[in-house]
Amino acid sequence: MKSLETILNECEHLAFDLNFTRAKEWKAGDKNRILVGYLPIYVPREIIHAAKGLPVGIMGAGDRKQIIKGDAYYQSYICHLPRGIIEMALDINLNDFDGFMFPAICDCVRNLSGMFKLSKKGKFQRYFDYPQNFDPFIGGVFYEQEMEKVMDDMYAINKVKVTDDALYQAIELYNVNRNLIEEIYDIRQQYPWRLSAVETYHILRAGITIPVEEHNELLKQVVEHISKERGEPMDNIRVVVSGSFCEQPPIGLIKSIEMAGCYIVDDDFMLGSRWIQGDINRNITPLKALTDAYINQSTFSSAFYDVGNPKGKRLVNLAKKRYADGVIFSAASFCDPALLDRPQMQKECDEAQIPHINFQFHENTGQFKVIKEQAGTFSDSIKLWA
Amino acid sequence: MEQSFYTMGIDVGSNFIKLVLLDYSAKPKIVDKHTEKIRKRNPTQVADEMISTMLAKHNLTYEDVAYLASTGEGDLVKRKRGHFYGMTTHSKGAHFLFPDARTVVDMGALFVRAVKISPDARVQDYKMTGQCASGSGQFVENISRYLGLSIEEVGDVSLQADNAEVSSGICAVLAETDVINMVSRGISTPNIIKGIHISIAGRILKLLSSLKGESPIILTGGMALNKGMMQALEEQLEETGKKFEVKTHPDAIYAGALGAALWGGFRHIKLIEKQALAA
Repeated sequence: MKSLETILNECEHLAFDLNFTRAKEWKAGDKNRILVGYLPIYVPREIIHAAKGLPVGIMGAGDRKQIIKGDAYYQSYICHLPRGIIEMALDINLNDFDGFMFPAICDCVRNLSGMFKLSKKGKFQRYFDYPQNFDPFIGGVFYEQEMEKVMDDMYAINKVKVTDDALYQAIELYNVNRNLIEEIYDIRQQYPWRLSAVETYHILRAGITIPVEEHNELLKQVVEHISKERGEPMDNIRVVVSGSFCEQPPIGLIKSIEMAGCYIVDDDFMLGSRWIQGDINRNITPLKALTDAYINQSTFSSAFYDVGNPKGKRLVNLAKKRYADGVIFSAASFCDPALLDRPQMQKECDEAQIPHINFQFHENTGQFKVIKEQAGTFSDSIKLWA
Repeated sequence: MEQSFYTMGIDVGSNFIKLVLLDYSAKPKIVDKHTEKIRKRNPTQVADEMISTMLAKHNLTYEDVAYLASTGEGDLVKRKRGHFYGMTTHSKGAHFLFPDARTVVDMGALFVRAVKISPDARVQDYKMTGQCASGSGQFVENISRYLGLSIEEVGDVSLQADNAEVSSGICAVLAETDVINMVSRGISTPNIIKGIHISIAGRILKLLSSLKGESPIILTGGMALNKGMMQALEEQLEETGKKFEVKTHPDAIYAGALGAALWGGFRHIKLIEKQALAA
């Protein structure tokens, strides 16, 4: 078993390798293998795995790439994520990728799919739509058709037919993956000092750039390490961070929140990896199982329609489940879904008497003084006066 | 409350580390205090050595201290139990030194922060200088070094001024250029130093005005004991026509560390009560 420090160093490197070296090495291992890049938040990675593909999460260039051409594609009032991604596409970062999936989360990502199409990046550029109707006979059927389109896209490249057996195997692997991630969050809920939020972030982000089998092995080792005592407990408050589901916060921001005296006991940083809550059923046909899981077991997010199950209430429930002292709303600047939802979520927090603060960031924000100040005073106010 | 226990507060600034050992009870008492210039050393190591030395001096161990609290750059302190934010600790420290405190001006090496507090030392509002260093202690230290003065001499030299020459209050680089010009024009050192103090006092006045600060104003931090700074601020406040009482204390530099130790004690009791409730 590797030491935790070794795993963490590896994960940090993998998480921010904008050239996706490990994924490209994996592809080079067999001529039928394909790389399918996907944008935040969620895609059913199982179908890509079953088609001998590697789903690779493209979470933006963060503060690690200078934007030169990207600014020409988006107006100044659009968030930073698509600029970084188009910059990567126009550079060499996304070479060797066979196709791209653009989940329907907002207009910026929709436009990005068009830009990839015009730039002829990859052999397919699939705008992956989600059902707004959660009736299995309407939205469910639609969702299955969307998945089939992606399977056709992949088949056109490597001629690999997705079989039920391959899908069941993929479902099993991703069930294990999600369970291990939840186990890490559960351990951190009780002993947040054993693995910092930044370390957790590196581990999860690394996972979307490597084969799930490798990530599961890493996760098992992490669980084993943090099941034993590590680090010193501190008198910190416990917070849930909400609003960063798409454009990822810079590491400095997560560190600043922690250094200001907050344990982040839950978050939506790498939400796609935790999208489905619980196991996907393996006792029905696999495509139906993936559809049912999306319709009935999705977590909540500002970017998704959530009829009958308000996200504000779900956020409050999450804060209660994690015994959080407060909620920090941290959204990317110009992120319409997050910013539009925030007032309603704040209202729910107020009604549940959960203290909250909010601030905004860019993925390449470099100054955290004000954020540290806000998080620090928030922590003090809860510790001393709550 | 009859119980008494030790708490420690450590304030890691950019130039100095301040440490306070407190006998925490209904009437907390300062047992010991120490300040150390970081110079070019590793701040984590300096902080660690300061704590170990003070504990050894009083025949104590880490386990004898109920709550070791950090403030300032607290992530540089190992083995602490908790961290409190700078304005929370400076307010509490100032309130301990002057229970009637209503506004606290923390004059540190890198910025000045004005904080309005309630009668029980809660932060109600605050304003601080921007990113430019021209309103900071580090700036005064740099200028004094250029003029061949030690930082301890600056206050007394400023009091000798008879015709202060005010420098730029916006930018440290421009202000330093101003000072070079003043020296070449033959302006006396006291008049230059007083001008620097007036410029900083002007920035503090703007903070106090937008904060709607109330009297008495307590100065804390490294610059609080600079008599020239105090005089310049009093003069500027007088010009506003409002009556403000400005106070400082020989232990003003320890306000952050003292506040951290005090809040540490408060929090320790709160945690015990919480545990008792849970049981």
